[in-house]
Amino acid sequence: MRTLWAASLRHLLRHPAQLALALLGLALGVATVIAVDIAVASSRRAFELSMQAVNGAATHQIVAGPEGVDEELYAKLKRQRWPLDLAPVVEGYVAVGGRTLQLVGYDLFADPAFRDEGTRRDLPDDGESEAIERLARWITEPGAAMLSASTAAELGLAPGSAFEVLVGGQSYPAELVATLDDAAGGATMLLTDIAQAQEWLASAGRLTRIDVRAPPGEAGEKALEDLRDLLPAGTDLREARQRAAQNLDLTAAFTTNLQAMSLLALLVSIFLIYSAVSFAVVQRRRSIGILRALGATRGGVLGIVLAEAAVLGCMGAVLGIALGTLIGRELIALVSRTINDLYFVVSVREVVLPTGSIVKALASGIGVALVAAALPAAEVANSAPQLGLRRSVLEGRTLRLSYVLLFASLLLAAAAVAIVWLSSRSLFAGFVALLLLLASVAALTPAALRAFALLLARLSGRASPLMRLAFGDVAASLSRTGVAVAALGMAVAAMIGVSVMVESFRESLREWLERTMRADVYVSAPGPGFGRPERRLEPEVVSAILAVPGIANHSATRSVIVESAEHGPVPLSALDPAPESFEGIQLVAGEPERVWREFREGAIVVSEPLAWRMQLEPGDRLVLLTPTGARAFDVAGVYREYGNDRGTTYMDRAVYRSLWGDDAITSLGLYLTPGVSAQSVIPRLRAAVQDRQILLIRSNEELREISMRIFDRTFVITRVLYWLTAGVAAIALVSALLAWELERARELAILRSLGLTPAGSAVMIEAQTAFMGFAALLAAIPAGLAAAVLLIDVINRRAFGWRIDLHVDPAQIGDALLLSLTAALVAGLYPAWRAGRVPLASEIREE
Amino acid sequence: MLIIRQLSRSFREGNRIHRVLDRADARIATGEIVAIIGRSGSGKSTLLNLISGIDQPDSGFIEFDGREITMLREPERTLFRRRNIGFVYQFFNLVPTLDVEENVRLMLELNGVRGREARRRAAAMLGEVGLAERRHSAVDTLSGGEQQRVAIARALVHEPRLILADEPTGNLDEETAQQVILLLLSLVRTRGATLLIVTHDYDVTASAQRVLELREGRLHEVGAPAYGAFAGGS
Repeated sequence: MRTLWAASLRHLLRHPAQLALALLGLALGVATVIAVDIAVASSRRAFELSMQAVNGAATHQIVAGPEGVDEELYAKLKRQRWPLDLAPVVEGYVAVGGRTLQLVGYDLFADPAFRDEGTRRDLPDDGESEAIERLARWITEPGAAMLSASTAAELGLAPGSAFEVLVGGQSYPAELVATLDDAAGGATMLLTDIAQAQEWLASAGRLTRIDVRAPPGEAGEKALEDLRDLLPAGTDLREARQRAAQNLDLTAAFTTNLQAMSLLALLVSIFLIYSAVSFAVVQRRRSIGILRALGATRGGVLGIVLAEAAVLGCMGAVLGIALGTLIGRELIALVSRTINDLYFVVSVREVVLPTGSIVKALASGIGVALVAAALPAAEVANSAPQLGLRRSVLEGRTLRLSYVLLFASLLLAAAAVAIVWLSSRSLFAGFVALLLLLASVAALTPAALRAFALLLARLSGRASPLMRLAFGDVAASLSRTGVAVAALGMAVAAMIGVSVMVESFRESLREWLERTMRADVYVSAPGPGFGRPERRLEPEVVSAILAVPGIANHSATRSVIVESAEHGPVPLSALDPAPESFEGIQLVAGEPERVWREFREGAIVVSEPLAWRMQLEPGDRLVLLTPTGARAFDVAGVYREYGNDRGTTYMDRAVYRSLWGDDAITSLGLYLTPGVSAQSVIPRLRAAVQDRQILLIRSNEELREISMRIFDRTFVITRVLYWLTAGVAAIALVSALLAWELERARELAILRSLGLTPAGSAVMIEAQTAFMGFAALLAAIPAGLAAAVLLIDVINRRAFGWRIDLHVDPAQIGDALLLSLTAALVAGLYPAWRAGRVPLASEIREE
Repeated sequence: MLIIRQLSRSFREGNRIHRVLDRADARIATGEIVAIIGRSGSGKSTLLNLISGIDQPDSGFIEFDGREITMLREPERTLFRRRNIGFVYQFFNLVPTLDVEENVRLMLELNGVRGREARRRAAAMLGEVGLAERRHSAVDTLSGGEQQRVAIARALVHEPRLILADEPTGNLDEETAQQVILLLLSLVRTRGATLLIVTHDYDVTASAQRVLELREGRLHEVGAPAYGAFAGGS
């Protein structure tokens, strides 16, 4: 058997280009999966560390709505004799030097033992007396704050440096009294004494929450029960882990989408490996036939081919892990930027490669290679020894297989439809249906390609015998051409699907912005994140703005996060709309007149994503925690929204004010007097608020443009993955076609010896590869549109809850066209060049 | 008329230069059937490749019917070969992805004969070689003798003036070889074409009008006794 193995190894080494392409394709497929895993895991880890740094060892949290927890409650609870450790926390978002940081206010002496696993261990350790002095300054000096050493260095600050803290458009002087160790999770934090944080966030007497640490066991459970009994209306006790999980869950749909796209790249690489392995088998069918004739068993031959594939898969996976780590480092920036734009603030300092991902990469690399090799291996092992020598037998079997696949394609498509039909909400089922649909395209391709090629051969035969030969060859070499076109067709279908989905989403968003944004000018307090209470317009600033001439009407909004016992945090926009504002809200459920009447009477209107996530529809009730206790709100209607994938609840601002006692305004929409332009009013508005508050004052057009820019930024990562998949597909095509054309070198040499010119052979090869690229595109267009419908109506709906209108534009197929034809033409270049220069005498000399 | 003058061709084998043809000369009249004999590696196939323009000589020239082949550049050489030469190889060299009839029709189509006319002529040619019934078979399902008959049909279907056959019976059993060679000679004679046939087969040389032996890079006119000595005195 050693000789068999030697023959196998030598074959691979004698075809280094083929080996390299197969490895590169598989490595790229695995790398995409690894890169996404790294980016997602690193961002999640950064978030977990930052939660851990802020929460310390808290097991539970006492939370309230946007108004926060009264600090009197903390004082009252602290006086209790029980085994619970308590610590007050004030949190908010601020900007320092253009960078968003999480402001965390601690009461250092609240419970010295509390933060053993949190921030306390990170406090500076530069000599006891000096540390005490710094801590004293931190507690007593106005504006004293601490930052992690690396963040301070990035901002150009050193202990003693003065800097400016921007909170909701108000500027405050601050001083860095000390830097903290660069412990994980602290990079996005600005630490101050609790009173200082309350001052900056304008929440005197209020706490964001009270952290609770309960000992394990019955004593702890009993104490928590007692604590619940003592909590006033409007506050609630939650598990800290559950809160963290709720925050992380916000990104689940986003990260699932990324992981699904990365798996697609791996799926495409199956075809690449199949093509490489089957090429290696076919190249050796004569020698394998001889070996079988000499007595090598089926099992022996099968074992060699599969072992070869496994080694190839293992090498590809290892290369993929290395390449994926490099790509993953770059993707981290894109993923964390999107998370920062849409969900929460993270700063990734540590690249995390989960062990599970390594196992997944090795298993998928080897698995993909074995699956891809199974068919050609079985083919050669099951052939009678003398049949191993015949090409027509192989092609005959491939033809029969293509008919079986045609049938399988129908079954796969039917299965995809059935899965969508039967699984009403499962995102996973949506992705399974998408993969089945793409597999259905791949299965359909060989038979369709053959029929198309035969038709063209027949039609072109009258005009040019060369073209007839070229197309006839494509049909007659289905074992090679079918695989190449199937791989490309599947990838191109996925590209068209993603492209149509992204552009449809973009167009729906643009239309939605145009419809929803009715005001001429928008004024808001700056700061990151939806519903941050510190983002408020100062009352005198609101008066000054509304006094500016040229304003005919205005709408006011207070955006906050309220609590629901059942659903956790719920984004809420308390609206005081101008009459024009109602026309901009597109109701998808509920009759407008009734909806807005009930809205005025205290009902809520929920956005599509929120309705989907919480499974609400008109007539249902949503229970929210108000300062006076839990209260059920009728859902009057559902409106279309793309601004927030967590969804939003609209409530009349008068109702909100009466229940939450919060008069603040987060943003204003200004409707100008007819004939007055936004450009003329904006400078006057800026002058009116100057020296009072830094505000974002934008015209309607400007805000829409910014929204579209954020949208495009969000989809950069999708486009990166899309091009990585396209890269794998292009390599698959180049590899398969190169293999096919090289396999035909002798045939081409015969044609050349019979009178085919070098230019003629080059034209023939390029025509063949271009035809295959075009055929893949033709198969991919309907499949891509079906994939787009699935992505829009099933996957996006299930992941985010929003409905997107399908917008199809020929330009969306441009990338796919470019990829198909470029990859096809590039694949033909080398064989075309080679065919013109091959030494005919030696090529045609003997078998 | 085929004129070969001072034809030289050498190949590099590592550091050694192997001179296969060394100022070879020959004149072959139109319609003549000439057998070329020689030991293995003596340059017989190289000579046919040079005559057909598949290969290029280091020096010397080849003229066919007044046209100097060695002065032609690609693609003129290819066009010349396509119109004027029919090639029969030892290992058939049929196009595996085309069926029997398509292999034959290919030569017609390369020469601009298309459609019904091409099909008619291909079918007639296949009838002449006795393969009319197998015209839609895949070529690798045919026996060696049948494949060589397809190759002969392909070499003759476009009515070339020069047929080059490189050991056409070398891969066939004795009986089949005899049938194939008789068929080839008969078809060539009927068409009045010139045939150069490289062979080790005594029966073939016996049927040729002249025998040229390629020895030490040169072509030597030999008679039947000399060939008898070469072939082992039979």
